[in-house]
Amino acid sequence: MSGRGAEGLAGALGAATGRLQDGDQPPRPPKPGKKWVKTTKVVDGHEREEWIEVDAAGGPSWPERSAMRVLHQRLPRVDGPEKVTGAARYPHDVRLPGMLFARLLLCPHPCAKVELDLEAARKLRGVHAVRSLRPSDLPADEDWITRYLGQPVAAVAAETPELAEDALRAIAARFDERPFAVTREQALAPNAPQVRSDGNLGRRNERGDREAAEKALAAADRVIEATYVLPVQHHLCLEPHGLVADYRGGEEATVYASTQGTFAVHGEVPRHLGLQAGQVTTLVPHMGGGFGSKFGPGVEGVTACELARELKRPVHLLLARADEFLTAGNRSGCVQTVRAGATKDGKLAALIATIDRLGGIGGGSHAGLPYIYTCGASFSEIRSVHTNTDGSRAFRAPGHPQASFAMESVMDELACAIGMDRLAFRLANLGDDVWKRQLERVAREIGWEGHRHKAGPDLSDAPVKEGIGFGVSTWGGGGRPECEVEVRIARDGGVSVFSGSQDLGTGTRTYVAAIVAEEFGLALGDVTARIGSSAYGRANGSGGSTTAASLAPAVKDAAHKAREALLERLAPELGVRPDQLALADGRITGGGVNIGWKEACARLGADGITTHGTWQAELAGNGVHGALAARVQVDTLTGEIAVVKMVCVQDCGLALNVLAAESQINGGMIQAMSYGLFEERVIDPDLGLMLNANLDDYKIAGCREMPEMLPLIDEEDRRGVIGLGEPPAIAGHGAIANAIHNACGVRLREMPMTADKLLMGLEALRAGARGAREGAGGRG
Amino acid sequence: NGAKQKVKVEPRTTLLNALRNHCEPPLTGAKLVCDHGSCGACTVLLDGRPVYACMQLAANAAGREVTTVEGLAKGGELTPVQQAFVEHDALMCGFCTPGFVVSVSACLKEKPSATLDEIKTACSGNLCRCGTYPKIFEAALAAGKKLGGGPR
Repeated sequence: MSGRGAEGLAGALGAATGRLQDGDQPPRPPKPGKKWVKTTKVVDGHEREEWIEVDAAGGPSWPERSAMRVLHQRLPRVDGPEKVTGAARYPHDVRLPGMLFARLLLCPHPCAKVELDLEAARKLRGVHAVRSLRPSDLPADEDWITRYLGQPVAAVAAETPELAEDALRAIAARFDERPFAVTREQALAPNAPQVRSDGNLGRRNERGDREAAEKALAAADRVIEATYVLPVQHHLCLEPHGLVADYRGGEEATVYASTQGTFAVHGEVPRHLGLQAGQVTTLVPHMGGGFGSKFGPGVEGVTACELARELKRPVHLLLARADEFLTAGNRSGCVQTVRAGATKDGKLAALIATIDRLGGIGGGSHAGLPYIYTCGASFSEIRSVHTNTDGSRAFRAPGHPQASFAMESVMDELACAIGMDRLAFRLANLGDDVWKRQLERVAREIGWEGHRHKAGPDLSDAPVKEGIGFGVSTWGGGGRPECEVEVRIARDGGVSVFSGSQDLGTGTRTYVAAIVAEEFGLALGDVTARIGSSAYGRANGSGGSTTAASLAPAVKDAAHKAREALLERLAPELGVRPDQLALADGRITGGGVNIGWKEACARLGADGITTHGTWQAELAGNGVHGALAARVQVDTLTGEIAVVKMVCVQDCGLALNVLAAESQINGGMIQAMSYGLFEERVIDPDLGLMLNANLDDYKIAGCREMPEMLPLIDEEDRRGVIGLGEPPAIAGHGAIANAIHNACGVRLREMPMTADKLLMGLEALRAGARGAREGAGGRG
Repeated sequence: NGAKQKVKVEPRTTLLNALRNHCEPPLTGAKLVCDHGSCGACTVLLDGRPVYACMQLAANAAGREVTTVEGLAKGGELTPVQQAFVEHDALMCGFCTPGFVVSVSACLKEKPSATLDEIKTACSGNLCRCGTYPKIFEAALAAGKKLGGGPR
């Protein structure tokens, strides 16, 4: 679900960054031999920072970056060849003897009383099971009322996908529509239908000092007031949610899951198969995107397991595309009204905000305002407004892109109000030098220096105008002691590394192998990484950019121990001390010894060497910055908005694989651009139907929209490994909004920023100019 | 992919579902994503031309030559396009990758010297959610050069 536990703390914790924190100091002095480190904890994809106690003695350390031969290089992915030839088998691709295809029937109304007659569907040829998903704890004499548009109500399993569709159609379902609320306005109206038993207003909290903020606002030289509206965004993982449950009776089963958490699924599926954890193997060989929406098995995964248990046949249940839009989570929308003030000399003096999170039946997320920038005094009220729509889930930097859009717009509006260069105004209100140097760098790369109109829009008559916008971001991305890794060296020289962790497209498999190769002085191809299985060491889910910072240190620890064990075993035979030996270029040398890796390993016993590694705090870092600039072209005749170039600089400590890190930064920028310009869930407020639950009408950025992209890794950051999946996705849409204003003077406060809104904005500007002339007794 | 495949399917079965569910062994390289002709993840070559396999009936492919992503590499060796995708990191989760590989291959077969703009047009029917587009363009331009497209 939507990670309410972590989010619920948002308002109470006053971090200016928007990150949730335990506080700046550890809770108590460390125990002997221990020390405190601050790190990131993720619950259902939502992060919070906390202090944990770790061993004070240093474990292994990363070599100097300049000395690295495999790590910190541009490494093509080890699973690239499989993926480009179609050989990579995703859960969706699993085909097993006797396998049945399952589908879900979704309630087509936001709220309805449900009655199902399954008999006709059960009689169809090739249909093996049809079951109601009526909650088992609902008393038999009570009405079954659905709570959200798209709630699953029945499931079928049949021999082909086509027959499964027939079975869905043959279910005689009666839906008695009940009053519903699918928009914020409907949910807030007097006598609105009650969405949740606890009402339509969920978690509410306040932050800051209202009186001080009002006072500071009154004293400010310039004040702006504006409302910023962000729509619900869909994750749109290309591989849908779900799994294949391979159970054929007996006491063993295998589950192939499309998930970002091998163990998040493994922790739940065995009981739905009627088995114990040790009797089930959960596999995540490859998976087609998650972005925060794929942790536990979900109703689709649970249903697949229960069908397999009933039928004793493998069951394939991955959601149909329309179902993905309706019942697989989303990024919550929000409405944010902000009053903010600045002093003439360029200081952000006050900010007062009311924020409504729109997470459907879930809580939604928002990182809080002010976001990142230092503000004299502030006060905000945040609440959740519930509607009869699917619950929000974690989505790449939950809550941050929403907060960033409002904050960067406010900064821009204030800069314009006091007539200051928008970059200079930002630099004057950032508390941390890292953001300043990063902003200056993206400004250089985007060509700010030579830009003609820095403080206001292009007032020329040119039909096509260009503008530049900026934004900053922050995230935790630290690791935790949640991974256990095994490294093996075999007598034939084969090296393998095992972890239950999963690769959701970030390149996990590749850096796991690379860390071991670096340690042994081998090439990347000499090491086999075996990941994505519950049979291997435990690992955290890939949420909140915590995978690399949690997993890499444990891999390094295991590899370091294996190296020491190897040298201790070999040294006496070779007549040297272990510390005389070095591993490089596939050879073991030193003290007069010079032998090849395989030759050395041949001296091992048949059992080879096996070591286990755990998390080492020294090898990871926590807390990142990022800055982004966008250059946008606006056609004032057609309203077309084209992003010409985007630049993002991101610190992430040690980038394990530079090539994959760049790809992650590109991906973040592209998703933010797509969110800003195209994406929006559209639900008809009267009918309560989603109008764009397909890939034609829910538009995402494609090839033709791609600008020139420049992903930059901030090499001045010399810390250990920190994740970077989330932060590059935070600031792009805000920067684009500001670039549009810088180009033509239209301030778009509602996403997506489409041509029609731009044209209306231009018309309003013209009408305003006419009104001003007439009001001044002008020529009319 | 050069071999004769005989499948018995209902008339409504799409080419994509026939490939994925009825061929032996199943050809699951082409992906089912939108089932709607919007995303290109199921792109295959039908008589050498790229088509959305989810928008073709299987019966329509009877007697015709179908090349899926599995059929591009001969003798276990990656094609220059596939090699370039790997080298330039033109994939992340990889679910859209087969479709892009087929689209780029078809484009460069026709015109190895395709420009960036022509490559964007050739792939404008393919969607990626991870955001690999810039690297796909790099890979396609590099592969074009290798295939004799020369400088452009």
